[in-house]
Amino acid sequence: MTTETSVKTSPRSKRGEEVDVAIIGAGPAGAVAALHLARAGFSVAVLEQGDWPDYNAYAGARPEWELVSQKYWHPNPNVRDRQGDYPIDNSDTAVNPLMFAGVGGSATLYGAQWMHLLPSDFRVRSLDGVADDWPYTYEDLLPYQLRIEKEVGISGLAGDPAYPPRPAYPLPPTPIGSVGMRGIQGMNELGWHWWPGSNAIPPEKYGNLNPCVRRGTCLTGCPEAAKSTTDRSHWPEAVKNGVNLMTNTRAKRIETDERGRATGVLYVDRNGRERVQKAKTVILCANGVGTPRLLLLSESGRAPGGLANSSGLVGKRLMMHPFASVLASFEDPLDSWRGPFGQQIYSLEFYETDASRGFLRGSKWNCMPSGGPLGVSGVVGSKVYVAEEGRFQDLWGDALHQNVRKRFGHSLIWGIVCEDLPEESNYVTLSSDLVDSDGIPAPKIVYKVSENSRRLLEFNIDRCVESVRAAGAIEWLLSYPVRESGWHLLGTCVMGEKAESSVVDQWGRCHDVPNLYIMDGSTFPTSGAVNPTATVMAVALRNTERLIQERRSQETPL
Amino acid sequence: MSEPRIPLELSEAAMATFLALADFLIPASPPMPVFSAVGRREAVEQNLLFRPDIREAFFRGLAKASGKPPEPALEELSTGDGEAFSAIGLIAVATYYMTPSIRALIGYPGQESVTYDADAIPPYLLNGMLEPVMARGKRYRSTPR
Repeated sequence: MTTETSVKTSPRSKRGEEVDVAIIGAGPAGAVAALHLARAGFSVAVLEQGDWPDYNAYAGARPEWELVSQKYWHPNPNVRDRQGDYPIDNSDTAVNPLMFAGVGGSATLYGAQWMHLLPSDFRVRSLDGVADDWPYTYEDLLPYQLRIEKEVGISGLAGDPAYPPRPAYPLPPTPIGSVGMRGIQGMNELGWHWWPGSNAIPPEKYGNLNPCVRRGTCLTGCPEAAKSTTDRSHWPEAVKNGVNLMTNTRAKRIETDERGRATGVLYVDRNGRERVQKAKTVILCANGVGTPRLLLLSESGRAPGGLANSSGLVGKRLMMHPFASVLASFEDPLDSWRGPFGQQIYSLEFYETDASRGFLRGSKWNCMPSGGPLGVSGVVGSKVYVAEEGRFQDLWGDALHQNVRKRFGHSLIWGIVCEDLPEESNYVTLSSDLVDSDGIPAPKIVYKVSENSRRLLEFNIDRCVESVRAAGAIEWLLSYPVRESGWHLLGTCVMGEKAESSVVDQWGRCHDVPNLYIMDGSTFPTSGAVNPTATVMAVALRNTERLIQERRSQETPL
Repeated sequence: MSEPRIPLELSEAAMATFLALADFLIPASPPMPVFSAVGRREAVEQNLLFRPDIREAFFRGLAKASGKPPEPALEELSTGDGEAFSAIGLIAVATYYMTPSIRALIGYPGQESVTYDADAIPPYLLNGMLEPVMARGKRYRSTPR
């Protein structure tokens, strides 16, 4: 039996009033859903545990940038420890998940590297005999990808032979600088693929975005408002269209009725009071850790293992893209503090499967600047390239001067994103003892780098060293897997056709709860090896438009 | 038992201990000067204000190192109180490389703003660098039908 959703002219909802749709999370996926639903006349309330960004707080243009960023703009919430963050139990993981709570979501601290998945990523089972195919294809998703590019403001150069033909990007590519040119030198010497970087960074004014001025602080918040995040690209218009965006509001559980339909969201407001946002439909956009956490927190007598979890797959199949990094130094100056940061060039040379390499699937490389003197000194921060067991004298004293002299302004970083295959032994669960500031159980991550991923990492590290040597590097420092690298949180509420082997259908609708949707990267059946935000937003757009089209047959609570 | 109080300011004695440790961590290496030649008290205090989260560990480390030669004091902190060692090291290295004269010596203008012509044709399209990539042709695997 179905009932009709009443479509309003999107008046702003009042507290306690039932809305057509409640969305949890104001990141990239939530922004797409909220804006398009509001434009279609739905009343929408959004619960976001963080706040609007304060661009004056981004320190990129100030001398103390490196000193303050490694605390206040660190991507690991356990280090950052802001009011809006929740802690994560990382006691049983080889890679720490990274995220940021706020309007704009984790993209607040992303590098804005903008990549589509490739055709083979949607057909991993068919082509390589492992994991699963997606319910749709590259070609099905491409129209949504292209529309999202215009909404976000993507710069790049069309014509990359690693992809099927595509139309021009909305904006021309950002400069690649001396760092990118040196990266190209090595790749061309070896006859390997590279392409100018595509980024959510405009080289010229675009909507609410200012032109990039190559400040190079993209990963710690852009003080120029020149990195596209949805607090600029989507939320202002969504709010103008009537969306009630409630910040400093932490969802605690999804409420259901006696039929198992979602009825709304129990949340803790900024004053610590519990309230309920009633809704005819609920959409989860809380990322690959936050979304399964909320479903597990929403267990009930009807759903003893967690809401929408009859398959037992909520939280399972966590993929985080094991990441390797090569810091290469050169004799001549590269001005390597200069942005964008961002990818100046990328390579898909080793993206597609070649079974003779001893592993399946592949990698994407991105060439980036190396930052300021503290970052390359090796003595502070996450010490990516430093053995923890080393003596302090190895890094300080004259060694400090030598390292800064050799690396600062003279180095580039190749980041290597490796595809992670889905495995049920990698998962998100609830911590038995850690809680957030509202007393809600924190997520716990259980994750190991698989044998396939280890081989993939080692192969790519070896190839990357060949590339930087061919480019004339005088020193290279390696790190893999980088512990602080879990930016891409995918797969923990997998989409599929069957309720017994997936959590949501191809439109993001939960098999068990027909008025509960998931529209973030947790629905990805496989991860590819590219930065996922483009695909997260394109999938959210596809799902949202389906929800709008089907609104008259949408099941809702009585 | 009450919590030990974090000092509100850097005393003369604490600053002397810090300078001794910082000079060992950042000695002279021409043309780079030793830390104490450029590390001003006001800058150290300002940087501690930027990072109140490490203030307690910083002063704890100074208290433990007080009256000891710098290398064994740092060795003791490095092996026995990594948090204090990191706090002292971070304030030292940040203060040093935030100093304008040091930035001038290493050629660092800071994270500067650079203007450029967004419509200029990129060099890789003019000098043939991209041509070999194009010449190798299609690399992707098509969607199987």
